[in-house]
Amino acid sequence: MRGISRLEGKYAVTMDLYPPQGKEFTRIQPFFDNLRQNRFTTTKCKKCGKLSYPPRVICPECLSEDLEWVDLPKEGTVVESVVEEIGVPIGFETPLVLAMVEIPGAFTFIVRIINCKPGALQAGDKVRLSVFEVEPFPAEFGRETVEIARVYFAFEPVDPEKRIN
Amino acid sequence: MRKVCIIAGGMSQWGIRQATLREMFQEAGKACFEDNPMVTNKDIDGLIVASAYTERLATQTHLAPLIAESLGIKTRSVCARVELLCASGSSAIIMAYGLIKSGVADVVMVAGGEKLNTPQKWEAFYSQLCSVDHDFDGAHGLGLPPAALAMVAKLHMKKYGTTEEQMAMVSVKNRRNGINNPKGQFRECIDLNTAMCAKVVAKPLKLYDCCPLTDGAAAVILACEEKAKYLTDRPLVYIMGTGQCTLYNASANKVDWTSWEALRIASQKAYKEAGITPDHIKVAQTHDCFTISEIIEYEELGFCKKGEGGPFVESGQSDFGGKVAVNTDGGLLSCGHPFGGTGIRQAIEIMKQLQGRAMRNVEDAQFGLTQNFSGMIAAQTVLVYGREI
Repeated sequence: MRGISRLEGKYAVTMDLYPPQGKEFTRIQPFFDNLRQNRFTTTKCKKCGKLSYPPRVICPECLSEDLEWVDLPKEGTVVESVVEEIGVPIGFETPLVLAMVEIPGAFTFIVRIINCKPGALQAGDKVRLSVFEVEPFPAEFGRETVEIARVYFAFEPVDPEKRIN
Repeated sequence: MRKVCIIAGGMSQWGIRQATLREMFQEAGKACFEDNPMVTNKDIDGLIVASAYTERLATQTHLAPLIAESLGIKTRSVCARVELLCASGSSAIIMAYGLIKSGVADVVMVAGGEKLNTPQKWEAFYSQLCSVDHDFDGAHGLGLPPAALAMVAKLHMKKYGTTEEQMAMVSVKNRRNGINNPKGQFRECIDLNTAMCAKVVAKPLKLYDCCPLTDGAAAVILACEEKAKYLTDRPLVYIMGTGQCTLYNASANKVDWTSWEALRIASQKAYKEAGITPDHIKVAQTHDCFTISEIIEYEELGFCKKGEGGPFVESGQSDFGGKVAVNTDGGLLSCGHPFGGTGIRQAIEIMKQLQGRAMRNVEDAQFGLTQNFSGMIAAQTVLVYGREI
């Protein structure tokens, strides 16, 4: 007897690394559509002006639903970085490089750095948006199973000397 | 409003256990009743269970009735589960405190635990992606703190001159405290050199700077003062004040990674309710999931000035005989960290310290404190306990 724990050809939502995508499953699909066009975007409240990240469907400040999509800078500056050598979640390779990156005029967040030579990243380095395809998920519509394509993003060093291409 | 006392506490063995979640909850419940034979399962009118990953790692939801059944508890006032990841246990104690204080419940068992070591080791690491903002931080591989806390450590070192040696001293101290604890995961001392030369997890954090993945459970019993007087002959220990603060969750919304404002807010509320200042605290169980976190917690809890957490541990001020003895039972670094169990373990140690029956007692402690942070430093939970005089 074969259990389902091996997940052959199956999709388990509890095992999903990436956000749900497709207009049937999320109200922030424009974020992912924009990523596909190499745009890094989020929502801004038209009423109070609050820029939100992660993107929202309701402004967390004034609770208005009148939001607009705005472009964020696709280049940021490394404040601090870390190389995780053991204990990274399955689906990610060691060493896993994460950096605190300042997106000018917006926020500072922690983001994965890919295509980066080990140990090369320094505080003050410029990094830029890098968009990639991730595993689609098989979604059931009636009796049909449709593969929903998905994208996600990380950042990569701007300096070609620090990049693995 | 009624006063609330903590009258019993016990733990299962903690570590990598050959046992299921429900079995460990049974062990903890039994140990709790054995700690105070004057109270039995028939005296309990409410049960609050604390556990975070039960659906993912023990494939069990609706946990509280299952634990009640396994401990012969028939509830009338409350029977539910509380989850706040690493602060689940302390959160459950706050909930029980509020219910007893207001008269909804009289005698409540608070039991917390976690089964983190599954046949496939990666399960727990995988589940950790759900503990941060899954879609916007978890998807970058940011699980539970190693990476974030390594960055915090680097920033704290840069800003305040904290050293890797000072971080290692937290681990050496807590490991030393833990050798007395028969229920803890690790009971071996380490020296500074061992800590400094250990395998790197995420620079500057090395193996002994990080708490392990732990299976285990713990339970306490809270009672209104009126009932507590009949249910224990030990000195009464009261919950004097509580605070729980969250200001932001996603990494993009954090204002300052080395200054934990939420902890200042939570602790100031707890101190104010208790009518004390940080100077009154002689014993504290803080959230040493990483050595750097204990250092920052000294600062934000007001045990020392901001930025002086490193010298505070270096000069022995957080050890027995210092200003405030921190993590006297070994902390997360020795006992391990089954998320839902940790806040309860801390409460047990403070209760025993204030009753003068701990493994090693802090002299003349009248007030004690427990603290947890949870998620990616997203929420802070503080409780202040005090004994009758």
